[in-house]
Parts: sequence; structure tokens; C-alpha cells
Amino acid sequence: MHEPGPDQRVFGLVAEFNRPERLIDAVRRTREAGFERVDAHSPFPIEGLAEELGFHDQRVPWFTLLGGIVGAGLGYWMQVYTNHAFPLDIGNRPLVAPPAFMLITFELLVLGAVLFSIVSMLGFNHLPRLNHPLFEVDSFRLASTDKFFLVVLSNDPKFDPRHTRAFLHSLDPVRVDLIGQTEEPE
Amino acid sequence: MSDIAPSARDFRTVTDEIVDISLDYPDRKAWWLCFIPALLLLMSFFISVTMLFSYGVGVWGNNIPVGWGLAISNYIFFLGIGHAGTLISALLLLLAQHWRNSLNRFAEAMTLFAVICGGLYPLVHLGRPWLFYWMAPYPNTMTVWPQFKSPLTWDFFAVLTYLIVSILFWYIGIVPDLASARDRATRRRYQVFFGLFALGWRGSARHWARWRQSYRLTAAIAVPLVVSVHSEISMLFAAGPIAGWNSTVFPPYFVAGAAFSGFAVVSMIAVVLRHALGLRNLVTSRHLDLLAKLTLLTGMMTAYGYWAEVFDTLYGSDPQELETLRDRLVGVYAWSYWGAVFFNFVPLQLLWWYRVRTNPVLLFLIGLSCVVGMWMERYMLLVTTLYRDWLVSSWQRYHPSFWDWSLFAGMLGVFFTLFLLFVRFLPVISAFEIKEAMFEEKEERKEAGRA
Amino acid sequence: MEREQAEPPSFNRRSLLQAMAASLALAAANGRRAEADERALPYVNAPEYVVPGKPKWYATSVRFAGYLQPVLGKSIAGRPVKLEGNDQHPATGGATDLFMQAALLGLYDPERSQVPLHLGQPATWEAFDTDVFRRTAEIDRAQGGGFRLLTGAVSSPTLLRQIGDLRKRWPKMRWHVTEPIKEDARLAATNRVLGRPLQMLPDFSAAATVVSLDDDFLGPGPRQAMQARAWSKRQPRLFVAEPTPSATGTRAGDRLIVPSARVQILAQAIAGAAGVGGAAPAELAAHEKKWVDDAVAALGKGDGLVTVGAQYDEALHALVLLINERLGAFGKALRFTDPILAAPPDGKDSLGVLVDDMKAGRVTTLLILEAEPVQATPAALDFRSALEKVAFSVHAGLYADATANACHWHVPVQHELESWTDGRAPDGTAAIVQPLIRPFLNVRSPHVVLDRWRGGSASDHDLVQASWQTGWQEALLAGFVADSAPAAVTPTLIDRTISLPDPPSSDGLVVEARPDATQWDGRYGHNSWLQETPKPLIQVTWGNVVRVSPALARERALSNGDEVRLRFGNRELLGAAWIMPGQEAHTVVIGTPDAFAFLDSWRQAGVRLEKTGKTRVIASSQPIQDMGEFDYVRTVESAEEAAAQHKDDVSFYPPRKWDSPSWGMSIDLDRCIGCNACSVACMAENNVPVVGAELVAQGRQMYWLRIDHYTEGEPDAPRHHFQPVPCMHCEQAPCEMGCPVNAAVHSPDGLNLQVYNRCIGTRTCSAYCPYKVRRFNWFEYTGHDPDSIRAMRNPDVTVRSRGVMEKCTYCIQRISGARIAAKIAGRPIRDGEVVTACQQACPTEAIVFGDVTDPDSAVSRRKAGPRNYSLIEDANTRPRTTYLARVRK
Repeated sequence: MHEPGPDQRVFGLVAEFNRPERLIDAVRRTREAGFERVDAHSPFPIEGLAEELGFHDQRVPWFTLLGGIVGAGLGYWMQVYTNHAFPLDIGNRPLVAPPAFMLITFELLVLGAVLFSIVSMLGFNHLPRLNHPLFEVDSFRLASTDKFFLVVLSNDPKFDPRHTRAFLHSLDPVRVDLIGQTEEPE
Repeated sequence: MSDIAPSARDFRTVTDEIVDISLDYPDRKAWWLCFIPALLLLMSFFISVTMLFSYGVGVWGNNIPVGWGLAISNYIFFLGIGHAGTLISALLLLLAQHWRNSLNRFAEAMTLFAVICGGLYPLVHLGRPWLFYWMAPYPNTMTVWPQFKSPLTWDFFAVLTYLIVSILFWYIGIVPDLASARDRATRRRYQVFFGLFALGWRGSARHWARWRQSYRLTAAIAVPLVVSVHSEISMLFAAGPIAGWNSTVFPPYFVAGAAFSGFAVVSMIAVVLRHALGLRNLVTSRHLDLLAKLTLLTGMMTAYGYWAEVFDTLYGSDPQELETLRDRLVGVYAWSYWGAVFFNFVPLQLLWWYRVRTNPVLLFLIGLSCVVGMWMERYMLLVTTLYRDWLVSSWQRYHPSFWDWSLFAGMLGVFFTLFLLFVRFLPVISAFEIKEAMFEEKEERKEAGRA
Repeated sequence: MEREQAEPPSFNRRSLLQAMAASLALAAANGRRAEADERALPYVNAPEYVVPGKPKWYATSVRFAGYLQPVLGKSIAGRPVKLEGNDQHPATGGATDLFMQAALLGLYDPERSQVPLHLGQPATWEAFDTDVFRRTAEIDRAQGGGFRLLTGAVSSPTLLRQIGDLRKRWPKMRWHVTEPIKEDARLAATNRVLGRPLQMLPDFSAAATVVSLDDDFLGPGPRQAMQARAWSKRQPRLFVAEPTPSATGTRAGDRLIVPSARVQILAQAIAGAAGVGGAAPAELAAHEKKWVDDAVAALGKGDGLVTVGAQYDEALHALVLLINERLGAFGKALRFTDPILAAPPDGKDSLGVLVDDMKAGRVTTLLILEAEPVQATPAALDFRSALEKVAFSVHAGLYADATANACHWHVPVQHELESWTDGRAPDGTAAIVQPLIRPFLNVRSPHVVLDRWRGGSASDHDLVQASWQTGWQEALLAGFVADSAPAAVTPTLIDRTISLPDPPSSDGLVVEARPDATQWDGRYGHNSWLQETPKPLIQVTWGNVVRVSPALARERALSNGDEVRLRFGNRELLGAAWIMPGQEAHTVVIGTPDAFAFLDSWRQAGVRLEKTGKTRVIASSQPIQDMGEFDYVRTVESAEEAAAQHKDDVSFYPPRKWDSPSWGMSIDLDRCIGCNACSVACMAENNVPVVGAELVAQGRQMYWLRIDHYTEGEPDAPRHHFQPVPCMHCEQAPCEMGCPVNAAVHSPDGLNLQVYNRCIGTRTCSAYCPYKVRRFNWFEYTGHDPDSIRAMRNPDVTVRSRGVMEKCTYCIQRISGARIAAKIAGRPIRDGEVVTACQQACPTEAIVFGDVTDPDSAVSRRKAGPRNYSLIEDANTRPRTTYLARVRK
């Protein structure tokens, strides 16, 4: 999801809720109202919330699979290649001994899968990103404790500072804040 | 599943109880009382390693035939302990057991530190430790590669993979709580510290969704990883042609034993932490009960392994194997065999009673007994096999030297130092997962109410 | 050098070379520069120029107990690095013993005495010469009265000539001989029965049956190499009666365990059966009678020989001589020559006369030439206090030992590998000893030391050469003087009446003293190779033990390492108990040199033994020697019976075809006498470090080739086996599979290699090795060695540093040398061209090495025999080293 570029003065609007059920409700209503560039922030993962926001990204699982294949492939190839690169008689065992090679192949499968999985997760999430306009919102501090936030980005086609704020107020939040743009235009 | 956290009233209290420990440690005096001895032990580690590196492995009690001694038995012991953390965290996550959330963080930390301790042992035990990297495949001027048919090379990859996966799994699991600590920190250096390591986490629903995909997949892979790692470590023994090692029973036997010793340690840590950090609301007697049950279960599996090993030997009736078995039962190291049997399985039987399971002191003592027993088992498997191998002429007793023991003490120092730093500065319990569980259970109750 | 070159050009080439040689000699004196003595003649070929790295071989000898042991010395870049048997020598044919192998270390020993000592303080040779000169003037006036010379046993013609010259000048001087372990009784018996003292030379290759009455003729001693080689040629049927196991006893088909007091009775019984008159009828126990009957029956088939231990008295030897005469052994299995060692003027009590004279104040000047009378003589003589009465005493020897400290002067002498001397081998063949290296310490030859007393100033070379007017060059090239052995004597009996004394008392415990198998009379106490070599049968290194029988151990609740106190009269001996299976119940065995301080004879009855309650750590290389139910050493009933159990080698993999050459070894366990010559040869050849008693006790010995000793059966009367265990070079080596860094790999020619610089010291290979032949450098064993030890090392073998694993390589450097030679000559390596150090050293030719892919090679032929088997076949490692099973009789 593209965030507003630094050329836009306003980043978006954020509505604060104090219960997770309200956030779920608000997300559903915002989406029904036709907003597309909407995000929700919660202190813990809420089952199904991302799907409500239109999230259907399966790239992380696919990358995990890819990582596993790459790891296992590299692992097995490494063992076959090195045994051919410098052939040595080891206890009269065959040069290429698949049963013996399976263990490292499996370990590298695991390593590849986990590395790909986690790196791709961070990558697609654009993390690490230590600074973000939302952090300028004072109450957002509580997003990691017990408050729940709904964000409508300013680059949403339906975004209009006044109307959107009114809409958000209609969701019965604790409060609604404007998110200023923190980054300088290039 | 109604009582995972009965006293945790709301989300804020959970965060208060857990995250504030890191930001403003409740009982600093007690912590220092633990940390100073740990530092002393750590000093013993550095002195022992300096001694070892200056003079050679000869400062230990190893000899021929017992070329491996305490270093390798402790290596297996520490790694074995470590496996419980991964199992609790990953296996129970996949099985959607919410009660895990009170235990997984410190269990994983325990894993991490145990793997570090375990992994250090084979490095320092090398005759020429400064060349340890020759185990790794890299293009070099000698054009020689590692020998991939060796169980040691398998171990190298297994332990390295396990270490990396454990760090990553633990780290991505702790990031949301680091964000929580960042958001609550008032002092600058905490803000910077947590700010950096939280990676800018802001709890976005999309982030959570990807995080969950990744976390669960990692967990799903970590479970077979644990099995493979300890199976491979058992190959270190089982792949050699020495009577007492060369057995197909070893991989499952080792994995069960590893989980067993690990659950025993997790039980002990749980008892200590809930007492020391006032976490009785979060680590309840129900958690102790469940941990005790797991310990009992894996303990009985290990007992079956003992039985299977003996049966295997008797059934195979190879004279060398029979001789090794006989010597284990009645030889000079019989204390290690019967010690292992006693400490592992006799106090363990008390755990059949609910009252014992939920009694923190008893659970701690039984856990300790299991750890001692499993240590003896590792020692027994290594020493009794090597000191009397094929040829009578090479039989020779093994006595660990002072420096063997001082390094063991030092390695405990490494473990305790790391663990105490973790307890002091990082959220010891997964706060966000407890909140998630609270929310989900409330939803479930609602569903039930509606039905 | 520059100054010399700047001299006027009148210098011709020769004088310039002389000047250069002089400066080099100076450098040698100061800087321990190794350099061959240019007058020594290399064996067979004398290259004009030294080729770096190319060894030169010199035929020479080393001395042992008065005799010479023929050797070929290998010298690389002017430094002797290895001694091997001289295969052309008529006595040994290339056989060696451990003392011969270890003599090399004696040359380089950093503990060797390096400067003269006057009253314990370092002094100069000039001061010594001045002192001696002053003294000789006095002795001249007394015509030698009060001057005494004390030597060890002497076979050197040069030394005898020098002594003769000295006695001409000083008619009143006297010469005495001390040799702690001697054979006086044999000479006395020949004197009595045959009319004159004669050297008995048993020829075991000419005997079909040998009955040994407590005679360890295969055991340690100057004749071990010679006799073991002869024995191995025919391996006669062997009957041994003895109180404690010996190398000979282990080879016996019929071994009778008897107290030494019964030996005489057994001899009488044999004598009676053989029809020798004068023998009293003896009562025998049932098992003794059976043994005697069997022995007599076997002797009766012809070519019989009876021997008796040198420690028994003259009358018994005389009786045995009569038996041998009746058996027809004279001139065949038992030959005679004139004595090979010079007879001391006062007969067998030579030393006693000296001590009496010293105590009586009749000795004013005493020169002790290479002898150690203070420690290696019976304590009753009390040589030390007698020495205090001598006004001027001089000790010349290799070490500043106890005798040196008790004398006014000690002067260091040259080792035989750096000086000229001569002597006779145990068969009487004379040889000239030539130096392999110029002395690198400020030391003198014993000949030169003696010559100075006569006022002479000749060099050792000139002194020795003066004894050999003809055949000098030939003798140097061959390593011996051809046909110089004294002629065989055909004796005639002059006395057939032997009256034996009553058998000695066997009250209480009987202590038997035996020569130490690695220290002999204590003279090798400085030799760390020998100290670290396990004494055969007990497998104890660094120090001796008190051997007790299993029965006595049960009775007194003794276990190995318990400290015991032996009491006899007012003397006592403390030692650690060691249970010796197969030892007679009431016999206790102690070794030299401990025995000298405790006993006055080789046997003593009525000794009391008590436990002190303390225990001692014993540096044993093999704590457990009972073979139990295992079959490491297999025994077959006849040489045709198959020893191997599994004929089909099971494998998942297709059988491997090995290219020629592919190396293998066969060890005949019937031939092995456990002498350890191979083990010491291996240490010398392969730069194997010595680790000391403490580390041996911890199980960290470094031998690449160990000799295991096993007992099979009841501890009271077991069968004893020796089993040399080098690396097995398994075709399916578990060690290679275990190594993570490819340090243990297999070579195309079938060797199991250990690549030291690749090894990181995981020790997996050792953990997986079923034979535990791998050795680990637990500490830095080699880096702190003194310079002289570094100079001794074989430059063809890598010196291992801390933290790496090492093991037997099948002497890969020798294989490599043979391969290079064969390639240069454009031919395949011949069978027998590669001789491993252990194989060369073996006196009984128990070890054969060669190409196993060649069916005609000696090793293949041996392996094809029925007795061939692999150690631990169950491990399915396919060892290249295999064994030949023992045959029961």
C-alpha cells in the first residue's frame, strides 16, 4: 500500500479506539464507505483484521517455500560440488553419499526457509523504519499498549480533510487526529 | 481455557506488569545478588578458557581412549536443555495452546543461551580452536573443503542453523514488545535502545498479518529442526563403530531426553521468575501444572528410551555391546547410570499428583533432579562407552580435572549472566500474545454465549 | 673467514681448506654444529659431496654390557638420526633390541655430562690434566702401587691393549671389573666340567626342542637380538619352567610355574631320565612329572637343548652341561668358544677384592672408567664408604651420576656414536666403532682419558687404529671384522661327577631379582625413550614395581598400586605392588636397579611383605591385561587351522579394486617376544615425543606402535600373549568418516593418512577408532625441546605441534623414498624395498610389510595362510594390518 509522498502536506487522519471490537467495526464501516488506503494499528494481532483491510498478500509463504528450495538445493549442490572439486577417499565411502548428505541439506533447507521468510516479512512490511509520521501523533504511543487506531491516508481517492474527519467521528472514536507529514519533499 | 490469566484484568495491566519490569526493575537488590555470583562464574569461564588456550586441551582430564570428556557431554546437555524452549514456543503455537504465551519468551531466551553455551563447548574443546572455521565451507588456498560425511560437520551446520533460527524466532517474537517498551520508556537511553531494536514496529494490521505468516511458518519449521538437531547430535555417538554408541535407538532417545531436560529447566525458571518478578498473575499454578505434565510425559518417553536401549542390546546380544551394558550397570561408572535412572525417574513419579505439580518448591526440586539426572546420563553415555571400547588394552579411566569443572562452572556463568541480563532488560513474557489470547478468549466466550 | 682469505696467495687449496675446517671445528665446539667425522667411512658408498637431505649410512656398533651391538647408523646432514640392525652381521643378521635402538638418544641426551667436575664444581680439562700429571708422577714412584682401574666388562681390543701397556709401566697397578648383571656361573661351570672357562653359545636355530630352566634367553640382554633371531628361524618346541613369566615363557608350548628352588629338582629329574650319572633322584609333583616326561620325550627326538638361567649356581650349570653333552648338543645346538669378554684378573670377585683393598687403605688412586659401582652393586659391598678412603678418585662417564658425585673428579666421555672404539659382538665377531658425528660437547673418548694417564696424547682414532693394522677399511665398510669370531672349541668332559648342593631354602616369600627390561642395571635411567617404554609383561613405564602373584594378592588383599614394604634382615624396600598373572604363588619379583640396594644375590628367601596402606600412581600404559572372553589374540591348534571367522566381507558398497602398490602388514603373533625393539625404533624414526610418567598414568602416551600384553585364562596360570598394535590402516576406516575437515583421508596406495596441518583436533577420529591407535598432542610436546633433541629428529618426518592427532603412517617417508628411487630408475617398487622401522627392528622377523595387491609379495603370501586374521573383525573395518594366530604348541 502506497503511503502519501512527502509532497503532500497531510499524511492522513487517525481515529483512536479503546476496544478492539470497535476498531474491527470501524474498519468494516470505513471500507464499506469506500475508503481504500486505510490502515489499522493494534497492540496485538487481530485475526481477520488485515483481510477486512483488503490484505491478500501470500508472498511471505511463497518466499518461505522459495527459501527452503534454495537452501536445500544449495546445500546438496555444495556437498556434491565440493566432493568432486577435491575428490578424497573417505573410509572407502562413495564420493557422493546421498544419505550422509541429507542432513546438511535439511538444515540448510530450514535455514533458507526461515531467513527468506523473515527477511521477506520485514521487507514487505518496509521495516525497519524507525521514523514514521504516525509516531508524531501523541496518543499513538498507546498503540502498543491498549489503544487501537484507524488511519485513513491522505492519498486515498476519497480523502478530504473535512469530510473524512467527520466520517471518522461518526465511528464513535475516542478522538480523531490529523497526521502531519514529517518528511521534507525532495 | 478460561483461566490462562485470571487476574490480568485488562490490556494495560498486562503491559504494566511485564514491560515495566524492563524499564524500572522492581527488585534491583535481589537482581544484583544473583548477578554478582553470575559474573564471578563468568570470570571462571574466562580464566578457564585462557588456561585452556594457553596450554592446550591437556589441562583437562581427557586421554586416549576418552578423547572426549566433559566438554562434549556438556555440549549435548546444554543443547538438550535448549530444545524445550523451541518446542514450547513453536509446537504449542501451532497447536494454538494459549497458555504457552506466559512461558514462551523466557523459554526461548533459555534456548538461545543454552545453545550459545552448548555451541561454545565444541569450539573450545578443539585441539587448535583458532582454526575452528575450517569446519565451514569457504574457498581457500588449500582448496580443501569440509568433509560432509562426518557427523561433526552435520553438527556444525545443525547447531549453526539452530542458533540462527532460534535468534530470529525469538527476535521477531519480541519485536512488538520492544515497541511497547519503546513507547513507554521515559529515559532517553531506553528510548534509543528499544527504539533501535523495535525496528519501528507500529502494529499495523498488514504488518501483523505478514508477521503472523512468517512467525507461524518459522514455528512450523522449527519443530522438525529441533528433532533433526538432536538426532544429529546423537549421530556424533551413533555413527561411530563403538559399542554403547552404535545404536539406532539413539536419535529418538536423545530427542526425548533433550525435551525432558529442557522442560525440567523451563519449570525451574518459571517457578523462580514468577516468584522473583511477581508474575503470579501471568504464570499461574495452571502453567506449573502443564509444565509438570510435559516434564512427566517426556520423562516417561526418556525412560522408554532407557528400556529400549537395554532391550536393543540384549536382543542384539553382541558381546561387545553386552559387555558395555554390563559395565554400565555394575562397572566403576555405575554411579552415573544409576544416578541418571534415579534422578531422572524416581522423583519424577511424584508428578502424577496434582498437588505436587502445582507446588512450586516441589516442582523446582523435581526439575533440578531431572537436570542432574540428564547431566549424568550424558556423562554416562560418553564416558562408559569410551573408557572401555573394543580392545581391553586401551581401557583407561577418565577423571575430569579442575579445569574441566571450572569451565563447566564458567559455562553456567555464561548462561546465568545472559539470562539475568535478559530478565533485567527485556520483557520476559510475551505481553502482546497474552493480550491477543485475552481478546480471543473473550470472543470465544461471546460466541459461546450467543450459542 | 675474511681474514684468512686476505692472507697472501701462497695459500694452496689444501691449506685453505684446513683453515676453514679449523674455523668450522671452532664453530662446532661453540655452536653445536653437527658435522660428520671426515675420517669415518660411510657404509658401502662414500659420496664425494654431501647431498643435502640424502642420508648416509655408516656401519658401526653401540656398546651394551661390554659387548658391541652391530648397527647401521643413518646420518642426514651430518647428524645421526636413526640406528638400524646391520643385516650383514653374522651374529644378528639385522636384528636389534630396544637398547640398541635407544642408543641414539644417549648421544643427544641433554642431561649428558658436558664439563669436567672437580669436587662437584665445573672445571677445565687442563686442570684435570694437570692434576693427573701430578698424580702419575707419584704413581710412577710407586710403580703403580695404589693405582686401581675399575671398568665395566671389556671386549675392546684397544682398551685391553691400553690396560696392558699401563700395566707394563706400572706393574703394581691392578685392574678390576664390575658388571652388575653377569654370567660368571656359566664360565665357572665350563671350567669345572670342561677344564677351562668357555663361552657357551647356544644356537636355537639348530635345536628342535629347547628346555629352558628359568632361562630367559629371549628376554632383555646383550644376546637378545642374536638369540631371538636364531630362535625365530626354527621356533623349536619350547618347554619353560620358571617362577615368573618371561619373554621366553610366553613363547613356551609347555610352561611350568615352579618356585625357583624346584628348578634344580627338575634339572635332576631330566638328568636322571637322560642318563646322566650322579644325579640324585628327585620327587616330583604330578604336574611337574608330566612336564618333565613331556620334555624328556621331546628331547629324545633329537636336536635337544637344555638351558638354565645365569642366576643359578655353578653346580646346576654343570649338571645341565652334562645333560646337553648326553643329548649330543655339543657342537650343534650348543657351541663353545673362548670367553669373549676379557676375564678380570681377580676372577668373578674382582670388585670384592677392590672394595676390600679400598677399605684397607691399599688404594690411593682410583680411575673408574664408565662404570657405576655406587648404585649398581650390591649394597652389602658399601662401595660408597669404601670410596671415601681413596685419596684420589676419578670417574669418567657419560653422566654425572652417583659415582661421579662420590669421586673427586668427574670427566665427561664421548658417546660411541661420536668416537672411535672397538670391541666384540656377543658371538665374538670384532668390530670397529666409528663416529657418525664430530663430538659437539667438550668431551673425550674413554681411550683418550686412559691414554693421558700414560702420558700419551694420541687421539681415539689413532689409538683404535693402532689395534687394527690390517683390514681397517674393510671393517669400517662392513661394520665388523670378517671372520674375527673366536674359533669354535670342541670341548671334552673332564668331570662327570656333579654333586649338587641341597636346593635353596624357600621359607616364606622368595624374592627374585630380575634385570630390568628397559633399564637393564640402571644404566639407561637417563634415557627417556626407554623410561617411557612399557616393561614387557607388566606394561609399567617410568620406574619399577614389586610383582606379586595373584594368589599372594588374594591372600594379602593387594591390588595394583598398593605400596608394599619388603623386609629382609635390616633392609627394606618400598615399592608399588603389581599383580603378575602366571607368577608362582610365593614368589615376589623386583627389578634392578632397586634390587641392588635390597639384595646381595638374585634370590632371597624368607622375605616379609607388608602393606603400608598407601597407594602409588603407577604409570602403566595398559592397566588391564586380562583378555577375558575376547579373541584379540587367536590361538589355533595347528598351523593349518584357519583362524579367521568371517570369510565373507559384508558391505553395502561394491568391492573396491586397489591399484598396485597398496600397502599392508602382517604380524606373526607366534614370533613376537614383546621386546619393544619395534616400539623404540618407531619412536626414533617418527619423532614420537616422550610425555613422562604423569601423562602416561593419565593415558596420554604417544607410542605409534604399542605392544599389548594379554593374559588368557586363569590368572594363576594363564597363557601370555604379545600383540604389537600399529595403525590398522583400515580400508573402511571409521576415523576418516568422523573427521570434519578431511585431515584423516585415504591415499590411493591404501594408507590411512593423517594430515597434521589440516587437523583441528576434534578427536573424533580417535573416538571412532576401534583400535585406539591414534595419539593426541594434548600439550605442546615438541616446541620446547632442547636443541640437541631437535638435532636428533628425523628430517623426513613432520614434527607435530599441540592440538593435532597423530598415528602410525606405515613409515610413509620410507615408502616415499622407495617410490622416488623406483621412479628415477624407471621400475616398479620391488617387494621388500620398503622396510618399515618396526619391521627392520624386529629381531624375530614377526613383522612383514609390502604390497598386498601383488600375490607374490612376502606379505601377501603370509596373509594367504590359514593363520591370518583381522583384529576385531566385527567392526568390519577391513584392516590392512593383520595378524597370524598363535599355534598352541
